[in-house]
Amino acid sequence: MNNKPRGFFGERPLPKFEVDPQVLRRGTRRDVLLFGAGAVAALVGGGSLLPQDTLSRLGVRRNTDSPAKVWFLNKALRIDDDVAEAVYSARRTVPTYTKSQITPLKNNYNGATPDPGYIPGWHLTLDGLASGVSAALDIRSLMTRFSIHEQITRLVCVEGWSAIAWWAGLRFDDLLRAYPPMSQAKWVQVESSVNLDASGNPDPYYVSIDVATARHPQTLLATRLNGQPLTVEHGAPLRLLVPVKLGLKNVKAITKLTYVAEEPRDYWAERGYSHYDGI
Amino acid sequence: MSCSTTPRKEAISTSTLPEQPGVFVAKRHHLLIRWSHWLNVPILLGLILSGMSIYWSSPIYQHKPDPLTGNFDVAADIGIWICAHVPWLHHYSSPPDWIYNHMSLGPCMLALALRLHWLCAYAFMLNGAVYAAGLIAGGGWRGLLPRRTDLLDAFRMLRYYIGFPLAKLTHPEWPHPSFNTKYNALQRAAYFSVPLAGCLSVATGWAIHKPMQFHSLAAIFGGFDAARVWHFWLMWVFILFVVPHVILVFADGWDTLRSMIVGWSARVKRSEVTANEQ
Repeated sequence: MNNKPRGFFGERPLPKFEVDPQVLRRGTRRDVLLFGAGAVAALVGGGSLLPQDTLSRLGVRRNTDSPAKVWFLNKALRIDDDVAEAVYSARRTVPTYTKSQITPLKNNYNGATPDPGYIPGWHLTLDGLASGVSAALDIRSLMTRFSIHEQITRLVCVEGWSAIAWWAGLRFDDLLRAYPPMSQAKWVQVESSVNLDASGNPDPYYVSIDVATARHPQTLLATRLNGQPLTVEHGAPLRLLVPVKLGLKNVKAITKLTYVAEEPRDYWAERGYSHYDGI
Repeated sequence: MSCSTTPRKEAISTSTLPEQPGVFVAKRHHLLIRWSHWLNVPILLGLILSGMSIYWSSPIYQHKPDPLTGNFDVAADIGIWICAHVPWLHHYSSPPDWIYNHMSLGPCMLALALRLHWLCAYAFMLNGAVYAAGLIAGGGWRGLLPRRTDLLDAFRMLRYYIGFPLAKLTHPEWPHPSFNTKYNALQRAAYFSVPLAGCLSVATGWAIHKPMQFHSLAAIFGGFDAARVWHFWLMWVFILFVVPHVILVFADGWDTLRSMIVGWSARVKRSEVTANEQ
């Protein structure tokens, strides 16, 4: 190989030097020992971050669950949430599809599907308004007072599956304009009191949505799916459709919206998932 | 000559004394490359284990549910097949979970797996930046670039590897093709492809993680669902790289493994050194 490098991209010969064999041996011993210590530290440190169930299966009897471990993993989740919030843009709209691209949407109620008996007496309660009093709206007034918008968008589940569906409903933003929240409100707690657990017992569902996302033009309070009024499986008579969030924030059969200043409780954040869930 | 208190650099300069011949070494891997190389081991392991736990919650490869068991997951089928055909696994407690019990954190761990996956993914991206910095600082990036002669040289290397076991049995002469570059063509192809696969994993990962904000990125890979398929198979690029990588490093010997720990290789031809010094 000649010494002159062949252009900018040409490979250079490796730098070579002569060194005392003893220095070399000492250097090697030091680096290999340091490397070994690092490998042990990585094994113990990384290993202790694994879930307890996984460790038990690997034969580790010691309990590694500690406040520090929980704090560290929560921190990673919060950083990811902050990144999600930073990349969110109120002006960026999600892709829309044609009717031929619509895919089946399964009833993904986490527990049992509620008995439709709640639908006739249903109304939406608004709390935390600028007026200081709460409001109650029935489905007819919601559908007549506000203009109905349609969109064919993708709903993405935290599990990884997704579905393209044709939705119609009023814009959350229009509701916010008609019933302005109190000035310091940054969050909306979206609740469904009719949600059930797997054995059919009441299990009220509640998620947090930031007001900025609620104001997104594609955030709907949906009343129709694929050209038909919402069925009980899909959250009749009114569900949240927020395509810039994971499916778990798209609350079915909303019964109450509360505007608050501090981040409210979130059903899935309490079960180890993230808070913001922007996608 | 006392070296115990002499700093390394001075020792190198004094080692050229004629009565104590030194050894020649070549600087092979920059410190940042070595750091990022080894950090990749726990990070990639974490990404694969948590990634397969995420995969479990909604497998890409599904079929119509089995009328008896309700199973629709191809990975569960593979686990059932393995447990049925491997004698000591006949009494495995949960065959459909075999793959997930051995290739992931385990089934039913989505929330925990997501946290670990994000943690490892951010570490992987930072580590990739460290690796890129090391490639630039050490000039090693030039040694990874594909060359025009690579295709032919790759065939020479393949012929060497394929003929190696038979040659060892029949006749001892089976010389390793010689190259005057840091890596041979097959190594270069692998060490160029793996960082590329790393970049693609990060890109497809963001496309799946933020399919609405980064929908144009997802579109490059053919949309959200296709990006998931890309992301899944990119995992296999790493797995399929690591197996021969580890085998060949051990086959090649201590000098090669040591060079990734201490940075230099003692495999230097004296003629080369003198040629370079002239």
